[in-house]
Amino acid sequence: MNILVCFIAAPDLDKLIEEDWVIDKDLQIDTSFLKPTLNSYDESAIEIALRLSDASQKTKVSINHKALTIASTPATTILKTLNALRFKQVVRIDSQDDFRFRPGAIAYILSQYVLKHATQDVLFLGRQSTVGENAKTHLLVAERLGWPCITQVSGIEVIDENHLVVTSQVDDGQIRQKIQTPCVLCIGEVPNTFMRVPTIKDRMLYGKRPIEILSTTDFQLPDETEELLDLKVISHERHGIFIEGETPEQKARELYKMYLKERLEKI
Amino acid sequence: MIYKGILNGCSTDIATQAGELNNFISDNLHSEDTVGSTILFYSEKEQRDALIRLVPTESVKLVRITRYQPENILKALTTMEQGEMTHLYLFPSGFAGSEMAVRLAFRMKGSSLVQVKQIEYSGVQLIASKTVYANHVLGTFKLTKKPYCVSLAKGSANDQAINTRDKLIVTEYDMTHLHENQFIKASKAIPRKQASNLTNTRFLLIGGNGMKNKADTQYLKQIADTIGADFGVSRPVAMSGWTSLHRQVGVSGSMTKAAVCIVAGASGAAAFYAGIEKSKFIVAINTDSRAPINKTSDVAIIDDYKAVLDELVKVMREDRPI
Ligand SMILES: Cc1cc2nc3c(=O)[nH]c(=O)nc-3n(C[C@H](O)[C@H](O)[C@H](O)COP(=O)(O)OP(=O)(O)OC[C@H]3O[C@@H](n4cnc5c(N)ncnc54)[C@H](O)[C@@H]3O)c2cc1C
Repeated sequence: MNILVCFIAAPDLDKLIEEDWVIDKDLQIDTSFLKPTLNSYDESAIEIALRLSDASQKTKVSINHKALTIASTPATTILKTLNALRFKQVVRIDSQDDFRFRPGAIAYILSQYVLKHATQDVLFLGRQSTVGENAKTHLLVAERLGWPCITQVSGIEVIDENHLVVTSQVDDGQIRQKIQTPCVLCIGEVPNTFMRVPTIKDRMLYGKRPIEILSTTDFQLPDETEELLDLKVISHERHGIFIEGETPEQKARELYKMYLKERLEKI
Repeated sequence: MIYKGILNGCSTDIATQAGELNNFISDNLHSEDTVGSTILFYSEKEQRDALIRLVPTESVKLVRITRYQPENILKALTTMEQGEMTHLYLFPSGFAGSEMAVRLAFRMKGSSLVQVKQIEYSGVQLIASKTVYANHVLGTFKLTKKPYCVSLAKGSANDQAINTRDKLIVTEYDMTHLHENQFIKASKAIPRKQASNLTNTRFLLIGGNGMKNKADTQYLKQIADTIGADFGVSRPVAMSGWTSLHRQVGVSGSMTKAAVCIVAGASGAAAFYAGIEKSKFIVAINTDSRAPINKTSDVAIIDDYKAVLDELVKVMREDRPI
């Protein structure tokens, strides 16, 4: 079964301090000093693909898993890690475009990649990227390919070459479905699927395997139907009064007496 | 402008969906030349009348289906709406709403945006805003192609009552003949065992990654029980499996509005904070004086959360039996 995991490395925005949130005239925020990381949806997507591959001896279905990203910067560490984790192939589509808010363009490239470059049975995508928060790419890829899509996926089992059992979250619970490939699976919140760390031996043996590099100029991009007009930093500041005291016990008593007692009595 | 709200009456969260639409409509779509209606999908005949009472507009198309399966709903919507002059389709904030907004726009050659907080229609384009950069920034977007399909931001429902109307215009459609999409070979719904009660809680204690392990998470849950608070967690705690996912607070969890919210050992990342920003009073307990949560709280204690909360339990016990 051919599985393509599409991911995006993004700066860890939690590392920015208040003063870093400066929007320039081109509606850019400088995050170049932050190390690219994977968000938890993409991490889960990668780990789930690896677990399916681990289980292939049991299921007797061989898994050919590939990882692909569209990125302007090499994000080399992550790509090398994916190599060391023994993805069969790691692909980077090089791009100098600003794709932060262009899920339509990303979806177009991904679908063209699948149609023209490498046939796939299943596509895994994380629910949304950290920067754009577009939450549209997986749906648009599915529409472009004419494939069905299951969102908020939390579990996948391989049944045979053409069938999967997929568990996903819906608005009032979960649903477990036996489905036929091809399909797009959008990975949601999945506890205990942190991406594994490769062994040093695997890093040495596989980490430096070549990464396939394509360019977005190989793809003709469609016009976007949504356009960014403005960005404004949101401020959430409140009083932020520090409760002073010599010991934690003193502070707790002060908190209760001055701030909580009356409020809790009204609840 | 003509708009339609789309509701999924097959889901048990229908009252929240209707509340969100109602609130959004009254905040954003009040100009005189605005005409709105609702399309409500449902499957259980017995629920029909109760569902109609939730409709936030004067007219409603009731569409009976066997099951809310996205591919079928899309088929039904594109068939029903072909040739209609609808400018805007509004979907609730849930998973189904965001999926439908994007896919319907694609099929109807329109434009879409999900998790939208506010809109403004100029006659030729829709201006819509939503949070980006993990909830740190508000982005304003121009949608250029009609129909505009948007899903609402989570937590936009308030307690505003829905106007139950005397003269509701109801049109009925039977689409129970729509077959399951071929790609599904079998399916089984697993209803939620524990619904999250965090959305409406008045007193909330939240534990963050500062809890470090499952045992400490259980310890904090006990403290919450003792002081009569509901217990929530930040994402790393839920993702580590230290407690169940339904306790997660934030943009990808529950959006709360407690009268008192105590946050212990969470840094206060924007994606988390969005889930508590409607609290009346926020207390932060954190060992790091530079943690963002301190500034976005009403009061903050810089100390170990365990020492502080143990003493809080004591002082509350002294004051009133708990
Ligand atoms: C698209 C997207 C959606 C997201 N959705 C959510 C969401 O819904 N909910 C959510 O929570 N996060 C969400 N996040 C993640 C969010 O950005 C943060 O990574 C997360 O909230 C951090 O959790 P935390 O504060 O518990 O952990 P950390 O950032 O690790 O903070 C732990 C804090 O505990 C303090 N601490 C440590 N020990 C102690 C002690 N003994 N006593 C007191 N304090 C102590 C530390 O000083 C630190 O401030 C999302 C991120 C993205 C990109």
